[in-house]
Amino acid sequence: MTLRRRISAVKPSAQDFAEAAERHLDDVHAFLVYLTGDRNVAEDLTAETFARALERWRRYDPRRGSARTWLCQLARSTAIDHFRAEERRRRREGRWALDTPASEEGVFGEGLSPELERALSRLSASEREVVALRIVLELDGESAARVLGISATACSTRLSRALQKLEREVSADVAA
Amino acid sequence: MSPLELVDDRFGELARELHAARPVAPEGLRERVRALAPPAPRRFELNLRMLVPAAGLAAIAVSLAVAGGIGVLHSPKSTEHGTIQARRPVARLAAPVPQAESKALGQRVFGATLAPAAGRLQQYDANLTVRVDNRDDLSKTTQDALRFTRRLGGFVVWARYAAPSDRGASELALRVPVDHVQQAIAHFSAYGTLVSQRIVLKDLQQRVDGLTARISRLRAEVAALKEQLGRVLTPERRALLEQRLQRDQAQVALLTRSKAASVRRASMSRIALTIADRPKPAAAPGRLGRTLHEAGSVLARELEVLLYALVVAGPLLLIGLAAMVAGRVARRRSDERLLERS
Repeated sequence: MTLRRRISAVKPSAQDFAEAAERHLDDVHAFLVYLTGDRNVAEDLTAETFARALERWRRYDPRRGSARTWLCQLARSTAIDHFRAEERRRRREGRWALDTPASEEGVFGEGLSPELERALSRLSASEREVVALRIVLELDGESAARVLGISATACSTRLSRALQKLEREVSADVAA
Repeated sequence: MSPLELVDDRFGELARELHAARPVAPEGLRERVRALAPPAPRRFELNLRMLVPAAGLAAIAVSLAVAGGIGVLHSPKSTEHGTIQARRPVARLAAPVPQAESKALGQRVFGATLAPAAGRLQQYDANLTVRVDNRDDLSKTTQDALRFTRRLGGFVVWARYAAPSDRGASELALRVPVDHVQQAIAHFSAYGTLVSQRIVLKDLQQRVDGLTARISRLRAEVAALKEQLGRVLTPERRALLEQRLQRDQAQVALLTRSKAASVRRASMSRIALTIADRPKPAAAPGRLGRTLHEAGSVLARELEVLLYALVVAGPLLLIGLAAMVAGRVARRRSDERLLERS
């Protein structure tokens, strides 16, 4: 294989980005919905994530992971920036309690039971993101761990705890 | 194997429900993403992953180019090098005199140095060292010196000629009539480069005059003793005079021999002549070899500077690296806490 061919095999093109965006838009959006718990914010962050991805697309190296994993990493860092900015804004304005979004129906997906919807909204963003990556997006443990920046074992443990908490919340809601 | 199948059976139903109801991006968002325009291509994009190796390669290339350039510029040309090598030993011995000048100088120098005084008996010793160009000249000049000495009426006391592979020399001990010593020294000096010349003059006239006076006195005494012995003497007196006569006659003979030796010594000058050929210049390394040597020296110096910089900046780099790692860990923990709160 010539050097030029090798480079073209590694170096992604704009066409590749369009295909990757079309293929993984739902994944990134779903991940951000789970992470933020807010569909509107998730939509904005999804658009911002893909805008960033388009800027950095030349730096994406397929040998280091799939496009979906890379996009999820980018989405997570975009969401964290958003959370940080929001926290600063709330601290500055003293409106934390007022701005906490009220639980709305159908945030985490169409057709979810109300108990599960409410249970999900009671989980932290940290717990929801591992559920989103491993259950909703069906990422393997290695890829999910890479997105979260932790080891595969830690990722598995975190998923197990999140699911236990989710089940407890659902059971408590049903019992109530 | 689907990750769903890896989830604990207790959560199977939960997981299936979550997966089945996964959020779908609305068409408006899809349109927004499709409408994203690619950023304007940058003329120069700073990419550290490429920049660091590129900077390393550039530094190596510059180092090699500088070393090579200095090696080419500073390596002396082969002829200059050979000349320097050949001249060094001569410069240590004495200031060399070029051969053409040396011939004329032989005459001038000799005229300016000690010459035997006419009409006086003198002991004349000369020590000459002459350098010739090559082995052929060494052989020819040695033979010429022997012939010339004999032609002047002198003779060779001893001669030694040695010509091993690297360097040859001949040493001659000559006796030349003192009347021709100037001519001999001028002739020998003209063989090549006069490296050294040493002349010692010692006056013998006073010694010979003293011997002559003593001999005259003793002869007068001998004549007086012979006259007394011709008279009538007592046996004791005769025996005493005969004893003194014998002693004086022996003394006269001894002094006469000594005087003759001094006169002979004053008539022949002693010349120690050393003729040597030039040492072969050491095999000078080729221009490429010298260039490589110079370049190697410069590279070694550059490595020294690099090592020095690493030793000096190493602790600072380590501290910076540790701070960077600590910053990343702190930021990751901060992110985790932030997500826990959200």
